[in-house]
Amino acid sequence: MRALTETETQTLFSKLANYMGPSIKNLIAPADSNPSTDQTRMIFRLGNQDRVYYCSEYLANLSTCVARENLLSVGTCLGKFTKTGKFRLHITSLNVIAPHARYKLWVKQNGVMPFLYGGNIVKAHVGRWSEDCPEHQGVVVLGMDDTPLGFGVTARSTAEARRLEPTGIVCFRQADVGEYLREEDTLFTTT
Amino acid sequence: MAPTRTVKSKSFPKDGKSPKGSGKPRALGANTKSKVSKKPKAPPPKQQKTKSAAPVKKKKRVYTEKELGLLKLNMVTPVGVELPKGKRKGKVFVDDQESMMTILAIVTADKEGQIESKMMKSRQMEDIREARRKEAEARHEQRKSKMEETKDSMRKKRKRKPNVRVDTDPLESSSKSSKGAKASGKRVSFA
Repeated sequence: MRALTETETQTLFSKLANYMGPSIKNLIAPADSNPSTDQTRMIFRLGNQDRVYYCSEYLANLSTCVARENLLSVGTCLGKFTKTGKFRLHITSLNVIAPHARYKLWVKQNGVMPFLYGGNIVKAHVGRWSEDCPEHQGVVVLGMDDTPLGFGVTARSTAEARRLEPTGIVCFRQADVGEYLREEDTLFTTT
Repeated sequence: MAPTRTVKSKSFPKDGKSPKGSGKPRALGANTKSKVSKKPKAPPPKQQKTKSAAPVKKKKRVYTEKELGLLKLNMVTPVGVELPKGKRKGKVFVDDQESMMTILAIVTADKEGQIESKMMKSRQMEDIREARRKEAEARHEQRKSKMEETKDSMRKKRKRKPNVRVDTDPLESSSKSSKGAKASGKRVSFA
């Protein structure tokens, strides 16, 4: 495990900013943290297979006692760096992103299952959406009871989507909680 | 070390002693050894002085290509392969909150700008679309009214035609009455 380099941090932040906007601040310096104690300071660590973990510094320091090959995971896995240097968010990061999401999209009950099976969201399944959302912007997908289901990228801006036919796609899926079952074999593997 | 040896060889012929004697004393007894050792102690500084004074010409320092920072001849060094001088080798890690905040500020400003420009663009496009739609509507309306006009004119023409015939007819009243009788008499309805 090691800290991220400058370029890596920039790539990670720009990806997170797609979904969270300026509230990434809350990730680096949580509002409830006490600056006098470093135990609550949250940091990012690069682990095996170029995975990025988000954890408290205290936990990261404790993890140094574990041999590198024996260390499976520390804190929350946000995603991984690809070979080309881009960052890909995993569904495991939903817990971190959802509370601070900038744009949200609520899916009706009849659209939950199609989304959890890996489908894109069509207009007919949208219950509500954040106003003034541009196209190709990261959104967090929620159920009508405010349960985070995943995240995606808008296909159309809100204004354009209003004129769309009911079968038109409004959001491209990026990750959904169904992956915990579908990608069970590969989601946490280290080799 | 080396200069003392050379001094010995030079000084002994002057004293008139054989070089054999000078060479052997170490192997001989303590007396001889002390004699020999005493003698050369005085001259060495003088000799060294003369030696240092003699080669006044200072040896010119030869700079290597590396020291001068010259490019190697007949070599092409691709951009990026050679690190700039004075730059530290290796990764620069970001682990303190301040530098993270700096990177975050850069990223957020960038993203905000992007979103803003996207929104502006979409708004402009929306305006253009609206204007076009209105224009098309107006054109359609115009065409419709023109069509109505022509229809009306056609109807009027149709109505006027019998009048023209009537005008040619000298007996206007009789023909009118006869025409009215004809119309009433010949009417057929299928309903």
